[in-house]
Amino acid sequence: MNFSFTEEQDLLRASVSQYLQRHYTFEDRQAVVRSKAGWSHEVWRGLGELGLHALPFPEEAGGLGGSIVDVVATAELFGAHLVVEPYVASVMLAGTALAAVPEHADTAHRLERIVAGEAIGAFAHEEGSGMPDPALVATRAERTANGYVLTGEKKMVLHGADADILVVSARLHGEPGDPDGLALFVVDPPTAGIAATPFVTVDGRRAAHLRFDDAELASDALLTADAHDVIMKVLDRAIVALAAESVGSMGELLHRTAEYASTREQFGVPIGTFQAVAHRLADMKIAYVKARSTLLYTAALAEAEQAEPHDLAVLKAQVGRLGRVIGESAIQTHGGVGMTDELPIGHLHKRILAVDAMFGATDHHLRTVGAGRPEPQPASRAG
Amino acid sequence: MDIAPDADLENFRKEVAEFLDTAPTPEIREAGRKTTSLFPAFEQVMAWQRILHARGWAAPAWPIEHGGPGWSVEQRYIFADEYQKRGLPPLLPNGLQMVGPLLMELGTPEQQARYLPGILSGEDYWTQGYSEPGSGSDLASLSCSAAPDGDDYLLNGSKIWTSHAHLANRMFMLVRTSSEGRKQQGITFLLLDRMDYPGMEVRPIIGLDGEPEQCEVFFTDVRVPQSGRVGAENDGWSVAKQLLTHERGGSAQSPMLRHRLGAAREAAARTPSAFGGTLAEDPVFRRDLGELEVEIASYEHFEKLALSGHEIAQDPAFPSLNKVMSSELTQRISVLMTRVAGLDALPDQREALHVGAPVDPLGDDLALVAMPYYLNSRATTIYAGTNEVQRDLIARTLRH
Repeated sequence: MNFSFTEEQDLLRASVSQYLQRHYTFEDRQAVVRSKAGWSHEVWRGLGELGLHALPFPEEAGGLGGSIVDVVATAELFGAHLVVEPYVASVMLAGTALAAVPEHADTAHRLERIVAGEAIGAFAHEEGSGMPDPALVATRAERTANGYVLTGEKKMVLHGADADILVVSARLHGEPGDPDGLALFVVDPPTAGIAATPFVTVDGRRAAHLRFDDAELASDALLTADAHDVIMKVLDRAIVALAAESVGSMGELLHRTAEYASTREQFGVPIGTFQAVAHRLADMKIAYVKARSTLLYTAALAEAEQAEPHDLAVLKAQVGRLGRVIGESAIQTHGGVGMTDELPIGHLHKRILAVDAMFGATDHHLRTVGAGRPEPQPASRAG
Repeated sequence: MDIAPDADLENFRKEVAEFLDTAPTPEIREAGRKTTSLFPAFEQVMAWQRILHARGWAAPAWPIEHGGPGWSVEQRYIFADEYQKRGLPPLLPNGLQMVGPLLMELGTPEQQARYLPGILSGEDYWTQGYSEPGSGSDLASLSCSAAPDGDDYLLNGSKIWTSHAHLANRMFMLVRTSSEGRKQQGITFLLLDRMDYPGMEVRPIIGLDGEPEQCEVFFTDVRVPQSGRVGAENDGWSVAKQLLTHERGGSAQSPMLRHRLGAAREAAARTPSAFGGTLAEDPVFRRDLGELEVEIASYEHFEKLALSGHEIAQDPAFPSLNKVMSSELTQRISVLMTRVAGLDALPDQREALHVGAPVDPLGDDLALVAMPYYLNSRATTIYAGTNEVQRDLIARTLRH
């Protein structure tokens, strides 16, 4: 067993970390969030030059053939620096979905553009239940003479209003709850019949609700008519990447709070010398160590293709629970200044909250875990 | 990263499983089912240690030169996993996990030759004399004194929370040899060859679970040889700190937690819920079970990272992090067990808990052990440095 990053991964982390320290201070980041686009093309290019757009894709798709552990190694740093550029939406969600259907004629050039950083992808899947199960999709796709007509609503689509490439899940047949009948479509917006309600999320990301009103798509917009497993794969990888971001934010909160408690003086001594404060810091450390252990262990499982839904539920639940402990403790320990917008503390906490809410919040995953690990299915065929 | 078990380890697992399936006697299995603390039924667990020792497996973490199997960390984890799956009684820790490893590091060759074989075989059984009535968390304030007298020390004072002192034949202890300087500087680490020296008196203390697991030991002019000293005179504090790293870390705890959780889950699936269906199907219970499982999972991941040599084990706070996590999870699983047992946890079944008891237990195995296990587990956050002291230590490593 080995749960350490490789030398190459450590080197990659060092260069990404160096880049972000130089070009993405908290003040830089806040300026980016307040800008019109809400993310920086320059930073996006910079991250691309470090190979991050291409990292998780197979070499035949122009990628670097990196593993999920490579993603974790870098996403932790994104979490620590609160990177708002569209890594999750474009690379982890839309990119992974396109890469999962390589046989489709139109995916290669779109994926190439994502890998090159020329296009931003978005993944329109969640419909508001807060549960990641693809079977819950209600958006309908009707077959017509010329292609498909989509009707339904998608919620909280990261970069849903400014993406160049939209990957959409919809139901060709069956009812919500049915794992069959799901399809993935690809669209290059703007498209008639798709209305976006854009907004900025609490953690400074660009997102939108999307409404499909008889949106007409060409026949070749269908990526796959057997989409359940593809969607699961996309979500599983995104959960690991988001968990890594959240753990990165937790580490930053722990570090900053420990530093603050060591220097902030009240009653003539650093507040960290008071046992009530010291014990809160100890609990933050305990929470961080648990979350990071589970992140690294699950990443190793995922890399070996052994991560079951149960394992990912454990990870997502722990990151949600423990992240909240750390974020709220960090604000409390900082006192009044912890309540201000000008410190990163609250922003790191908001990122943790956003990650918790996406793809199944803590409660959802705890109930999944509490139901017990399903018995291993007998192998369908010998060998 | 690499998580794949290699083929050799799978063979190893089979070898371990086969032995653990066949070697324990029915009495040893019964002692395992009836274990409600770190200390299973004495007679049966010592018999089990002799069986394991004959196979060379009494001390999975010991190196070959001292009679251990020389297993890798993965092998040790597999052994613990298979062991716990069968609910076998854990071997007593004082000798095998505490004073044994300490002597390997700091004992003289004579001390090693004299004491290690008896610890390994189970011929000798040790108790720990650290705490005193006036010295708990502030251990360094201890006052039980050792006055040099020729080649001997004369001991006066008392020790408390000496687990199993009434069953032990040897003792390791901290004594005060000087009152000069800082309180930590006048402490000496001492090994006693006997528990029946003239002037020594052992008094068992009945615990919340009704069992005499702890004791108080009184010393009145007890003459013991100075050759039992480990390290230099007045340097016992650093010896004790070294030993604490064994007490707080060492063996894998997560297999035991997993085993207890699994047993509670199975029992919940047999327990009707007042709201219909079984307790295991109740959404509130299911969520709580989920919360405990994810916490145990994270602790298991932490343990596996540490065992595999990840840098997490180099953290100066590691022993304290490990102690806080494992002790608090032990308590939480014990609470869950009493919840599942419900009213069945209330009958006082002290008699039925003894191995070979002539009375049948009321209720199932979980109901039998839930309450005494819960009560005994309150000690986990008190012993080996209270969790308050551990949190102080963790916070100290965070100071800039």
